[in-house]
Amino acid sequence: MSQATLERPGGSPKQVRPAQPPPSPLLIGGILGAVAVTVVAGWAIDFSLAPVIEQWPMLTMILEEVVHPEWAEITDPSSRLWIALKETAAIAIIATFVGSLIALGVALLGSKVSAPPAVYRVTKPVMSVIRSLPDMAYALVFVAVVTGPLPGILALTIFNIGIVAKLTAESIDAVDPGPLEALDAAGATRWQRARVAIVPAVLPNYASYVLYVFELNIRASVVLGAVGAGGIGQLIMLYFTRDDYPRMAAVVIVIFVVVIAIDLLSQFLRRRLV
Amino acid sequence: MTSATTRPKPPPKWPYTAVGLALIGIVLVAGWSLDDAKWERLPQFPGEILQYAGQMLDGVLTWPGAHPEGQADPELTYGDWWLQSLKLMGESVALAWIGTCVGALFSFPLAFLAASNTAPLVVRLPVRLFFNAIRAVPEILLAVIVMLPLFGLNPMAGAMAIGIHSIGSLGKLTLENIEAVDPRPVEAVAAAGATWWQRIRTAVIPQMMPETVAFWLYRFEVNIRASAILGVVSAGGIGALLNRVLRGREWEWGGIMLAVIIIVTILVDQLSATLRHRILHGAEATAVAA
Repeated sequence: MSQATLERPGGSPKQVRPAQPPPSPLLIGGILGAVAVTVVAGWAIDFSLAPVIEQWPMLTMILEEVVHPEWAEITDPSSRLWIALKETAAIAIIATFVGSLIALGVALLGSKVSAPPAVYRVTKPVMSVIRSLPDMAYALVFVAVVTGPLPGILALTIFNIGIVAKLTAESIDAVDPGPLEALDAAGATRWQRARVAIVPAVLPNYASYVLYVFELNIRASVVLGAVGAGGIGQLIMLYFTRDDYPRMAAVVIVIFVVVIAIDLLSQFLRRRLV
Repeated sequence: MTSATTRPKPPPKWPYTAVGLALIGIVLVAGWSLDDAKWERLPQFPGEILQYAGQMLDGVLTWPGAHPEGQADPELTYGDWWLQSLKLMGESVALAWIGTCVGALFSFPLAFLAASNTAPLVVRLPVRLFFNAIRAVPEILLAVIVMLPLFGLNPMAGAMAIGIHSIGSLGKLTLENIEAVDPRPVEAVAAAGATWWQRIRTAVIPQMMPETVAFWLYRFEVNIRASAILGVVSAGGIGALLNRVLRGREWEWGGIMLAVIIIVTILVDQLSATLRHRILHGAEATAVAA
């Protein structure tokens, strides 16, 4: 607009705005591709929002019960809820600790800064295979050996190794090469390099990844319970199968509060670390 | 300057030792509090898991035309298991994609109401609270409480559970992208008299779009893993059958299912990573990296 009014006194017949570049063919292809995938995916799962209207009374009935939670479950410190919550916390703490310790070693083997090529070329693909399975798949296999909290601990430990090792290995890749070269020049061994230059440099990042997986582990406890690997999720599945929505709502409230509290705490700690 | 050995004192080590001891203490207390953890079974684990893994590998490596033993249907082949796993995994991927679309569709406009440079405080706070609240509810809970009653035991329930949950996490990431845009183009169009909508359309969206699309793709990868879990509560995808097969200790069958999950997940991850790299760094950088 303003450009047009400026041009007019000069007597120029046409606007001399630069032409808008045409959208790149890749952009068009990308959008068409995304639309095509969406149509196929929607067809594959029979996408339909009609049930939202048809089943609405059913949902309101359940929500009616959910908004009247069984408070006694929360206020009574000896209830099943608190026992299960303690179990969940213990599972998450042990799995985070053990998994993260092992992950630090694996991360050192998985970065080209700290490991010889033959080692990190093997470690990396193995790690990505481990990470490609969800925590639940490990739990399903482990509950076949023994029930209770132990399969949950082991499943989360493996899951944590996968995540922490990947993130830490990426941090190690980005370590400042200066101290490493100094150590190489002084004839340091691999172990000394790792101990003196690499681990101290990635420690703050590493600690923040550990807090992050601890958060994930608390959330994962809901999933683990669903396959019978211990913790508070088992309680949810129990009340769900019994249609005991007031008790389930109490459990959900507690999970909600715990997850938010841990979220805030770990955000605060991470901000101080990094 | 009497001697050349005036090295600086190393910083004290006791804080690290103290933190380390405290952590070990917490872990020991946690371990002791689990009274029904059958710790004595731990040494048996590696042996048994290796044995199961061996059987799984047998299933994966058997010629797909062969017939597995002990099945009710004598016509059944390993190839049928492969096809069935692929089909269900396809359903998992499809519901993860739809879920991601739902999350992206709703989180995108909401994020503009939550960013400090595009919305006033009174609008911002409730929207952010909403993002945080839905992020705190795990997908599986959303599925159980809201989506299964609504949609029944089918993939739509899983897709919507994933979608609603994704609104929270995508919303948070998108609003961080919006807040990170260079303020100068925004000021320039504002100085030229642009309205709120014009400022966003011409100065904010072009700057934050690549990162945001990359986050959508990343979220799709995360959601594929989540969709496998949702199957356990019968909200669609490969999880329901995996749960049944592994609980029934059908290791060969389970091995094939896990192999399909691993292969498809890694393939989609690679594809998505390539796309994200192309979106964020342009054609030249991608050609060099490839």
